[in-house]
Amino acid sequence: MSSLGVAMPTAARGILSSCRPSIRETSMTPAFSILQQARGMGSNPQKNKSKGKGKGKNAAAPKTSRRGPLEFRQKSLKDMEQYTLCDAMRYLRAMEVGRNPTVIKYEAHIRLRTRKDGPVIRNMIRFPHAVQTESRICVICPPDSKHAKDALAAGAILVGETDVFEAVKAGRIEFDRCLAHPDSVPALNKAGLGRILGPRGLMPSAKAGTVVEDVASRVEDLRGGTVYRERDAVIRLPIGQLGFSPEQLRDNLRTTIDQIKKDASGLNDRISKEIYEIVLSSSHGTGFSLNGEFKTDDSPETSALTGV
Amino acid sequence: MVNLFKRIRKLKTILDIRVGTGAAILPSVANASKEFPAVTRLHLTYAQKIYGGHQGARHFWRNCLPRLKYYNPGIPMTVKQTTDQDIPATLSIYFADRVGSTATSIAGSKQITDKHAPAPGTGEKMATVNVKDLTYQEIWNRVQASTNASEVPASEEDVAEAKKFAAIDEKAIHDRERIRAKRQAKKDQERMLAEARGEVEKSQTA
Repeated sequence: MSSLGVAMPTAARGILSSCRPSIRETSMTPAFSILQQARGMGSNPQKNKSKGKGKGKNAAAPKTSRRGPLEFRQKSLKDMEQYTLCDAMRYLRAMEVGRNPTVIKYEAHIRLRTRKDGPVIRNMIRFPHAVQTESRICVICPPDSKHAKDALAAGAILVGETDVFEAVKAGRIEFDRCLAHPDSVPALNKAGLGRILGPRGLMPSAKAGTVVEDVASRVEDLRGGTVYRERDAVIRLPIGQLGFSPEQLRDNLRTTIDQIKKDASGLNDRISKEIYEIVLSSSHGTGFSLNGEFKTDDSPETSALTGV
Repeated sequence: MVNLFKRIRKLKTILDIRVGTGAAILPSVANASKEFPAVTRLHLTYAQKIYGGHQGARHFWRNCLPRLKYYNPGIPMTVKQTTDQDIPATLSIYFADRVGSTATSIAGSKQITDKHAPAPGTGEKMATVNVKDLTYQEIWNRVQASTNASEVPASEEDVAEAKKFAAIDEKAIHDRERIRAKRQAKKDQERMLAEARGEVEKSQTA
């Protein structure tokens, strides 16, 4: 285990160092500050310790076995075949042949070695090469207000109240996200769109953060970034479109790893999270464990791995 | 994340991409001849439902195209699935410079046009083959004949691996049977016990 712990970060570093000469002009400042979520933090480890002390060594052993290990168990990767980025892309592109290159995404799964309790990494990232195809945002607010103008300026495609409601009722839902201004919420509720928008996950609610005072800035956030969070010691996020070149994907992957490392070090001092494995997959493809290299001698030209 | 061993097993399915019908290298600019010029692009159009002879085309996409794409990563391959069931299923092969006589004869004298296929670029010529009512194997034979694609033989390791997986599949049939019998026996016993219990209760209440 310990030897792997040494091996993996170096592999991850390999990705970064192998691509040093490429240009990266855009400075990557995270759009959001790190939002930490304490999940049962503090109480658990201490409780464990005190109980173990009281009952002595023999009693403590079955206790821990029933509760399971405190860390997520990560198996040794020695049986896992690992691939260079270009080789993995070659297979994934073969699996996704004939599909729309802007819709199909490359996905990264970043596995961490971390405790089961404690804070999780949760943040937002802006990539050097934008992954999302323009998401269409609808804003529900009084059509002649200042908010409407700002939202339109920020890039919302549909702004209004009654005309939006009527379009939705007629079945014309031509947007992927829906925001609402608090002033319009009574009108929204009266229109009874919950049955139509609710199942699609488009109904604005304060709980989901889609009923906001400052509509325009929220629109900008939604258009720009990708939100990710750690679940069961894995961070999954789309990092590129199928049409991307290996260099573009490498830049995005590197940015992601950089930021996750920064997130991990920005957490609590006592919490250590380290990257353990990086898996590249696509919308319909299988997962390829990456070994941190960019390409081998047998890999095809990078120009061949671009486009459809 | 999924169990590591499941992931390792699943990853072995990439064997299907390396080996099988359609594992072939299409002629490129380097080894093109006059009769068989370099292939620059492939496009397949077929309808959403399989009736009307669109089955083979879909299977060609599912089975052969990934292998072709793996061995020819630089050749763009596009697939269009239409909702119009009446159009013929077509495969368009784009050649650099000219279309060889073999490809012309395979495409047939009756020219069909595929409105979904991208227009050929400058210096590109296309041959459109009607693949309606053909199986994917027949489609592949036509593609190979018209492009002179050189098939990539399976490497020794790949053959050995394929044999291993065939053996596992073989064993799985017996194992399934065994487990099914076991579960059935357990269920039967439980049912018998429940019935016996029911009878005891009946006799007590009576």
